[in-house]
Amino acid sequence: MKVNEINFWTKVPFSKDLWMMVILTILVGALIVFGLSKAPSQARRPIIWILTFLSGAFFVLYQYWPKAINFDKNTQLPNGGIEKVADFLNDSNSIVGTIAQVLAAFMLGLGIFSILKIHGTRIAKRQRDWAFSVVLIVSLLLMVFLGYGDFHIREATKTIDFDNPEKWGAINMGRDFLFEGLLQQMDAAMFSIIAFFILSAAYRAFRARSVEATILLGTALLVIFSLMGGIAYLWDTKFIDEHFAKPGVTHDLIQNLKLAEISKWIRGTFQTPAITGIKFGIGLGTLSMAVRIWLGLEKGGK
Amino acid sequence: MKIKTIPKYTVYLLLVLAASIPLFFDIKMPNKPVDSSAATFKSLMTLEKGDTVLLGTDWTGSTRGESKAELIAILRILMRKEVKFAMWSSADAQSPRCAQDVITEVNAMMKKEGSREYKQWEDWVQAGFYPNSDVAINNVGQDVKKMFSPKRGTDSTGKLRSVMESPVLEKIQKIEDFKLVIDVTASKTSDFHVQFISSHKVPMIFAVTGVMVPETDVYYNSGQIAGFLGGLKGVYDVEVMMDKGLNVPDKDGKIEVASTKVTDQIAGFPGKDNTGSGSKYYPTLHFALALMIVLVVIGNVEMAMARKGAKNS
Amino acid sequence: MNLELYYALSKAAGVVVTVGLFSVLYKENKFYRFCEHLFLGLAAGWAAVGVWTESLHTIWYDRMMGTVDEAGKAQSGGHWIYAALLPVGFMSYMVFSKKHNWMARVPLGIVLGVWSGQQIQAYFDTYGPQVRAGMKPIIGTSGFLVPGADSGINPQVIAANVYWSQAISNFLFMFTLVSVLSYFLFSFEVKNKIILKVNIMGRYLLMIGFGAIFGTTVMMRFTLVIDRMYFIWNEFFYKTLFHGK
Repeated sequence: MKVNEINFWTKVPFSKDLWMMVILTILVGALIVFGLSKAPSQARRPIIWILTFLSGAFFVLYQYWPKAINFDKNTQLPNGGIEKVADFLNDSNSIVGTIAQVLAAFMLGLGIFSILKIHGTRIAKRQRDWAFSVVLIVSLLLMVFLGYGDFHIREATKTIDFDNPEKWGAINMGRDFLFEGLLQQMDAAMFSIIAFFILSAAYRAFRARSVEATILLGTALLVIFSLMGGIAYLWDTKFIDEHFAKPGVTHDLIQNLKLAEISKWIRGTFQTPAITGIKFGIGLGTLSMAVRIWLGLEKGGK
Repeated sequence: MKIKTIPKYTVYLLLVLAASIPLFFDIKMPNKPVDSSAATFKSLMTLEKGDTVLLGTDWTGSTRGESKAELIAILRILMRKEVKFAMWSSADAQSPRCAQDVITEVNAMMKKEGSREYKQWEDWVQAGFYPNSDVAINNVGQDVKKMFSPKRGTDSTGKLRSVMESPVLEKIQKIEDFKLVIDVTASKTSDFHVQFISSHKVPMIFAVTGVMVPETDVYYNSGQIAGFLGGLKGVYDVEVMMDKGLNVPDKDGKIEVASTKVTDQIAGFPGKDNTGSGSKYYPTLHFALALMIVLVVIGNVEMAMARKGAKNS
Repeated sequence: MNLELYYALSKAAGVVVTVGLFSVLYKENKFYRFCEHLFLGLAAGWAAVGVWTESLHTIWYDRMMGTVDEAGKAQSGGHWIYAALLPVGFMSYMVFSKKHNWMARVPLGIVLGVWSGQQIQAYFDTYGPQVRAGMKPIIGTSGFLVPGADSGINPQVIAANVYWSQAISNFLFMFTLVSVLSYFLFSFEVKNKIILKVNIMGRYLLMIGFGAIFGTTVMMRFTLVIDRMYFIWNEFFYKTLFHGK
C-alpha cells in the first residue's frame, strides 16, 4: 500500500483514525435511523421511493450513458463532461453492486433472528414440542461455534492446508461432521423425499382424461424414454438400424423415426418455443413490475 | 365397479427397491450423448494447458446426486488438461464449502491415477461467495477485477494476497479474458449468467439439474450458451465421452460414441478411470423410470376399467 | 481421533438422519421431527457462519477496515464509509417492531431498486437473442429431407438451403411461440374466434412443454433417491462397514 493512497476517505488499516471514523459513521448513521423513526407517516413512502429510484436510476443511467472510447484511466484524464460522468459511472458500478450485496447479506440474518425468536419463545413458554426447539437451537449454536472455530483456525494458520483432512484438529473435524456428515446428507434426503410423492401422484393422477392430459402424458413418456439410453438403443439400433435402415444411408425418412431424433425434434420444435413463450410472458411481467417498483407505482404499505 | 388400487406404501417400497437393487450389479448401459452434452464436451476439451476458466458453483447438498457428479466430471477434465480455474458462488452460503470438499475429493482421485495434485493459488483459487446473485453476476460481467480483488488467498510462500495477483487470475482484466465461463448450478444463477454475461462474447457452458433442462435448452438453441450438461443423463454422457472419446473410430473403424451436431473427432481419456456417479446411477435410473412408466400404465388401465364398469352398470 | 473411525462415525450419522427423514413416508413421528429440527438448526447455523466467513468478511469488513499481511504491514486502506451500511442494514431488523416496521423497507427498497434498474438490460439480453434465433425461414427452397454428409453434396450448399422438413419445423416453432404467447397475453375474456382457436392450440402446445418438464423433473428426483440409496448401501454398508473396494 502506498502512502499517497491515504486520504480523507481511505485510512491506514486498523489505525486509530480509521476506528474513530468508523465509530463516528455508525453513530451518525444511528442518529439518522433515529431521526427516520420520527418521520411523519406521510413522509415514509417518499423516503423509500427516493432511495429505490436512485439505486435503480444508477443502473439505468449506466446502461444508457455513452461509454468512454479507448479511455485509459491510468494515463489519461476524462475529456469533457460526458466522459467524466461515464468514468464516474464506471468507477461506481461495483460500489453500488457491493452496497446491494452487503445489505442483502445483512438481511440473510433476518431468517436466523426469526427462527431464534420463534423457538426461543416456544422454549420459554414450554409450548407443545418445545424439546424439538431445544434441538434446533442447540444444533444452530453448535454449528455457529464449530463453524467460526474452524474459520478462525484456518485464518490464523495460513501455512497449513486444512482442506487436507490429515491436518484436522477436533474443531475442524467437528465442523466437517456437522456440515458434511449431517447437514449435507439431510439436505439430500429432504429433497429426495419428493420423488416418492411424485411417483405416487403419477400413479394416481397422471391419466389420459382429456386432450391436454393426453398430450402431457404422451410427451412426458416420450421424454422419459429418450432419457433411457437402454431403451433408445433397443429402438434406434436394434429395431430401426438392424431391420429397416439402408446400409450406409444416415439421412432418410426411417432415420427420423429414431427415439433420439423424435425427442430432439420435439425439444427443438415444440418444447423450446413453448418454454420461450412462458418465460417471455414471465419476463414481461417481471419487467413491468420492476418499472413499477422503480417509479414507485407499486401500491400497498404505509 | 370399484378398482382396487396399489397402496401408497407399496409404491414407496417399489421405488426403494428399484433405486437400490440395480446398484449392486455392474450394468453397462448403451448411450448416445445428446447434442448439448457433446457441445459441452467439445468446449471443455478444446481448452489448453494454462488457460483460465471461471467456474461458478451454485449448488448444495440438496442436489448433490446431480450437481456434485457434474462438478466432479468437469474438474477431472480441467485438472487432466491442466486448466486453471477461479471458483466462485453467489447462490447459497453452503456452496463454496461444498465445492471445496469436491475439489479435495477429485484431488485424491487424481493422486490415485498418478496425476499431480492441483494446488490452491497456483492452479485454482477460491474467489468467494457474493450474496444477491443477480447483482453479483452483473458485477462480474462489468468488472471482474474489481469484484474479486478484495478476496485474499495464501500464496505458495504463505503470504496473504489478493486472488487477482495469483497465477490463476493475474492476466485477467475483464470477463472476456476467461477462455470459458462455467456455472454448475441448481438455482437461478444460470438465468443471471445469460442476462448479464452472455452479451460479453465469452463462451459459456452450464451444468444444470434435470428439472432445469427444458429452460436451459432454450438458451442452448438460441446460441446464448455453447452447451450444457443436463442432470444425470448429462453426467453419464460426459463420462462416456471421457472414456471413449467423441466420433473416435475403434480399431475396426466403428464409431461407438458419435454426435451429428459436433462432428470433430475428440479423444477422451482412455485408460484412465472416468467412472463417476453417472456410470453408477444411470443404469439404476432406468429401473426407477421403468417403474414409473409401469405404474402410470396401470393407473390408466384402472381408469379405463372403472369407466367401462361405470358404463355397464 | 483416527480419520478412518471419524469417517465411519460421520457416515453412520448420515445414514441415521437420512433414515430419520425418510421415516416421514410412513407417518409423521418423533424421530422425523427430531431430524427435521436438527436439519433446520444446522442449516440456519451454517447460514450465520457462511454469511460472515464466506461473504461479509471479504466484501464489507475487509473493505471497511483495510487489510494487512501476516507481518502486520498494510496491504489496502480502510474505507470507513462502508460503516454506514451497518445502520442501514440494521433497519431491516425493524421488521420485528410493531411501530417502526416501515423502516425495514429502506434497505429493501435499495436492494429492489438495484434489481429493478438491472431489469431492462436483463430483459433484452435474455430475450433479444432468443427472438432473433426464432426467426427462421418457413418456406423451403429445396427437397424435403436434409441430405446427410454421405450424400456427396457440398455441406455449404446443404447449410445454405432450406429443406421443406426444416421449413415445416420452423413454421411449427413459430406457431407454437405465437400461440403460447397469445394464450398468456389474451388471458382475459376473448371474443374473436381466431384468437380463441389460437389460444386453445396454445394450451395444447404448452402441455408439450410441461410434459417435457415433467419428464426431466422425474429424472432429477429419482437421481436424488438413487444417490441416497447409494450412500446407504454402497458408501456406508459396503465400503465403510464391510471395507469393500
